Amino acid sequence: MAPAPPATLRPGPWQWLRRELFGSRLDGLISIALLGFLVAAALGLARWALFQAQWAVISANSTLFAVGRYPLEQQWRLWLLTTLLALATGLSWGLLRALPRSGSSGPPPILWPRNDRWAAAILVLLALWLPLALQLTLAIQLRWWAITALLLLARWAAGRWGQALPPLVRRLIPLIWPLLYLVGMVLISGGLGLVQVAPSDWGGLLLTLLMASFAILLCFPLGVLLALGRRSTLPLLRWGSLLYIEFIRGAPLITLLFLGQNILGFLLPGGLAPDRVWRAAWVLTFFAAAYVAEAVRSGLAAVPAGQLEAARSLGLSMPFALIHVVLPQAMRVALPATVGQFITLLQDTTLLSLIGLLDLLGTARTVMANPAFLGRNAEVYLVLAVLFWCCCAALGLGSRALETRLNPNLAPSR
Amino acid sequence: MTTPAAVMIEARGVEKWYPNGFHALRGVDLTVHQGEVVVIMGPSGSGKSTFLRTFNALEDFQQGSIEVDGIPLSDDLRQIDAVRREVGMVFQQFNLFPHLSVLENLTLAPVLVRKLPKQAVQRRALELLDRVGIAEQAHKYPGQLSGGQQQRVAIARSLCMEPRVMLFDEPTSALDPEMVQEVLEVMQGLAQDGMTMVVVTHEVRFARQVAHRVVLMDGGMVVEIAPPEQFFSNPQHERSKQFLRQIG
Repeated sequence: MAPAPPATLRPGPWQWLRRELFGSRLDGLISIALLGFLVAAALGLARWALFQAQWAVISANSTLFAVGRYPLEQQWRLWLLTTLLALATGLSWGLLRALPRSGSSGPPPILWPRNDRWAAAILVLLALWLPLALQLTLAIQLRWWAITALLLLARWAAGRWGQALPPLVRRLIPLIWPLLYLVGMVLISGGLGLVQVAPSDWGGLLLTLLMASFAILLCFPLGVLLALGRRSTLPLLRWGSLLYIEFIRGAPLITLLFLGQNILGFLLPGGLAPDRVWRAAWVLTFFAAAYVAEAVRSGLAAVPAGQLEAARSLGLSMPFALIHVVLPQAMRVALPATVGQFITLLQDTTLLSLIGLLDLLGTARTVMANPAFLGRNAEVYLVLAVLFWCCCAALGLGSRALETRLNPNLAPSR
Repeated sequence: MTTPAAVMIEARGVEKWYPNGFHALRGVDLTVHQGEVVVIMGPSGSGKSTFLRTFNALEDFQQGSIEVDGIPLSDDLRQIDAVRREVGMVFQQFNLFPHLSVLENLTLAPVLVRKLPKQAVQRRALELLDRVGIAEQAHKYPGQLSGGQQQRVAIARSLCMEPRVMLFDEPTSALDPEMVQEVLEVMQGLAQDGMTMVVVTHEVRFARQVAHRVVLMDGGMVVEIAPPEQFFSNPQHERSKQFLRQIG
């Protein structure tokens, strides 16, 4: 058996605190000053949030913030979509835990690892507290609680019985998400027997998330193609990709958004960009694709040339070699930068309010312009910031989980 | 050595210039018969690796002709892919796929290229791993193996495609000295089983014991082709003698 590491390597919390914060007299002074500042700031914020702020502006407009002017009698479609999303999230989460990486022979998975218990606890607390804090009607409160319960139930069931699934079903399960996306588009916009809801009626968080997810989903494959094009040996392809990437990266997004409103109507085939919302979505997509392309290019450059040679000398065709050998390795390198780009993209959707769309920020501006809520800017902006932070944190957490899963050197089989 | 059977690789007057104008191959001829083991030696920069890599079109050439198993190498991508399916290659740097387990490294190409059922390929892959002595590592990742083990996996990966010819490009040059032998033993076993092999290497002992013929290249040309016993004890060319003095 290996000797135990010396005790100084793993100090107790008290020792750690003393060493890190009060190592010398100067350290102690700086620590106390900073702590005092932090406490004062926290107290100030708490006093404002509890006694001065008037949160009625949020609770009175919560529907507006959530879905904009989406017709009330059609909102059941959004509830259905939310339910489906919760179900899919729970199932995917559970399966991710139940099924270890292919090829690894680690210990059997734990049904509820510690991080998952934390996540579930936070989720339950939020689901209990938020509807109450927003003073939603009892019926709607009950709906949120039911949806949360469904999510956790799906998580539990998938974690419990996921391993018993036949391999074919397992491989088909990721397809839930693109399918759900299509179903979601139909539910939101109408068609197939549902009443049409014009994009100009979408708003708030719904519009923000829709724009961001549309752009994220489409800019990724587009960016990969551009990155491959930029490294192509065909001059036309290489120069075309280079020109595109450099043009997009050289222009500010807001200019492109205004430009897109005016010219996308001629550029894209009819029906793809019928109105301002879709034109903006395409501009976001094309914009982000150029940046994703640069991230992927750095990943491609990190894959040794011998990998492609080895794949090709085994008889793999170029597409197979790229898909199965080069891109998986390139994406592992490019993933952090790519997700960073996705997060930026999510935040960039706030620019839509400048071209007159009612995304989260646009909705917030209309709310603050309402004479009934004059001067309540701080409350609105704070909630907006927290909402964006939550979305971005979720993206970041997801990407970190993916990174760990993609990295064979961290695989549990070691 | 008995009278060799069918011709497996036929290279005639191969000339190659690199894009920067360097004349890497200057009219190289070589015929490799089925079941034959040919070792190519030569100083660095002599064009031996470049020549080997023309056999599966990892390098192109401007003049001359190469036929592998009766298929002429041309710019036709389908013919290049057909040749690559029949020619296994082992690299100096192993070039295992680090994101796939050892077993997946072996099964990837047969499943994708030969469209064989996964179960059968896995069974053969495990047999091959057993043959190269690393069956118990099948579910590890390449980064968890030693250099010698990685190179043996690389050999098994090529064999899993059931190639008709195996090319080795300095397979032991990147290995720690104590791991060279385990790789050479696998290669020797392969030769005894009758595999056609072309090996670029500096391992004199391997060349002496396993090769049917030794080729010495220098300056992009073939200097001498001879059976090993003759090449090492009684070389015919002044350049060969000089080379043997340098490495001996």
